[in-house]
Amino acid sequence: MTWHVNTQVWEAYAAGGLDPATAASVDAHVVSCPTCREAARGHVEPVTLEVVWTTVSDRIGRPVLPLWLRPLRGLGVPDDDLVVLSTASLLLPWAMAVGSALACAMLAGLMPTYQETTFLLLAPLIPVLAVVAAYDSTDPFREVSVPTPYSKMRLALLRTVAALVVAVPAAMAIGLLIPGLEPLAFRWLLPALGLTLAALLLLTWLTAEVAGGAVCVAWLVAVATVGRTYEVDVLATAAAQAGFAVAAAVLAAVFLIRTSTLRLLGGDL
Amino acid sequence: METAILENVSKSFGRTVALRPTSLVLRPGVVGLLGPNGAGKTTMLRLLATALPPSSGRIVVAGHEVTTSHADRIEARRRLGYLPQEVVFPRGMTAFGFLDYVAVLKEWRDTEARHGEVRRVLGLVQLGDRGARKVSALSGGQRRRLTIAQAMIGAPDLLILDEPTTGLDPEQRASLRGLLSGLVGTVLIATHQTEDVSTLCDRVLVIEDGTISFDGTVPELLTTAAGRVHAGPAASRGAITTWKTGTGQIRSVGGQPHPDAVPVEPSVEDAYLLLRGQASTTEGVPS
Repeated sequence: MTWHVNTQVWEAYAAGGLDPATAASVDAHVVSCPTCREAARGHVEPVTLEVVWTTVSDRIGRPVLPLWLRPLRGLGVPDDDLVVLSTASLLLPWAMAVGSALACAMLAGLMPTYQETTFLLLAPLIPVLAVVAAYDSTDPFREVSVPTPYSKMRLALLRTVAALVVAVPAAMAIGLLIPGLEPLAFRWLLPALGLTLAALLLLTWLTAEVAGGAVCVAWLVAVATVGRTYEVDVLATAAAQAGFAVAAAVLAAVFLIRTSTLRLLGGDL
Repeated sequence: METAILENVSKSFGRTVALRPTSLVLRPGVVGLLGPNGAGKTTMLRLLATALPPSSGRIVVAGHEVTTSHADRIEARRRLGYLPQEVVFPRGMTAFGFLDYVAVLKEWRDTEARHGEVRRVLGLVQLGDRGARKVSALSGGQRRRLTIAQAMIGAPDLLILDEPTTGLDPEQRASLRGLLSGLVGTVLIATHQTEDVSTLCDRVLVIEDGTISFDGTVPELLTTAAGRVHAGPAASRGAITTWKTGTGQIRSVGGQPHPDAVPVEPSVEDAYLLLRGQASTTEGVPS
């Protein structure tokens, strides 16, 4: 190093009195000169250093919001909800959603004759599996989060939404991408809504694994029973869809009553 | 002023009784909870932390009855901090991110205030410069301090710590003791480190087989062992434990001392072992 910043220049630099070219030259020099970096300390007020350090460390320390959540901030979703969503361990529910969607597509492809039946049978279960996998019994922070005042119902519903963000498009993609399934691409949504609500309702009594298992088994049995008398395509008819809509509305109402009753009884929601 | 009250509280898991009917009042100060593995320490802590409902009895935390009313339980949760025995962290999370999440769960809604609180507790556990680090990159001791920091968010009236000094080196333990001894509220610490109890606690509880077998101050605990710990050329007959000291003497806890042995000052560990020994020798004796 052939030169060092002298006291006069440092004082002018700290006071912001250097012309832009000289200030830029000092900036560039300090980056590569440990002696001048050390000398700089003597020319800056400790309070200023503290403020600069706090600002820098705060900027570095602040968690970065995942890409998929950034648009939600623009839509006005509260910052604390975004923190919960960004922290939720979603690898398992998302893997479950994508995995079960791929399994559904594979089975539908393997059995061209029963393609529609397979799709109607399995697609509504994709969100159920994702929601169950996102529920709090699989939360690694459960022991930390339970004794906090944050609403556990809100926590569960935020995770449910996060799980559905992947599960619904995954199931929909199968319906739209596999030739021959296009007419059914949206017909699985209402059964899926009802089954997901049923799973959430059961989760107020049962563990995630048992609740998810019960809903899946009940759906498979129900579809098999219908299949004995009718073609399974009957589930896609307007009448059946209306029935699913009514069932979903009833389940939503029961779910609301159940959760508010749990609160009155001192339950942990 | 009572910070927490347990009235005839018991907890069973199926046929296993983890805590027998227990009554207890906690006031400001540092309380140590000693007991062997499986004695019911963690169960008692989880009950107080409202992480577990009792099978019977009544629990009041910071004036709020947590056993019946949901609203009171939420209010109590606003006033307590809990460090579980083990915390599993999701991959990729930073130290700051972890505390930020817990602060949200503790209802710190305002982002600036929340981040200020996160920085405060990071500083308390001397991790102020580690906020941006991934938790997976922290050492075991740093991770433990991070979990202690989450319990301290919001300066709770009741701080419940399950084995906080596990994994900390002697310097970090001393630093943590300094921090805990300076807190204003009630601190309940379950520990296997009798040294923590003797240096830090105003009160000691010894729990065994789901029952509190001792409740008193450290000097009172030491009194129970007075004249029962000896050093001599040979071990005491029937001693609970013996070992050879650096001076070549045999130190014996309990038992019939050797005629040439002299009584020595007992430690909290001696007193604890004697209490445990008493319990095991009286087990199965009809009352």
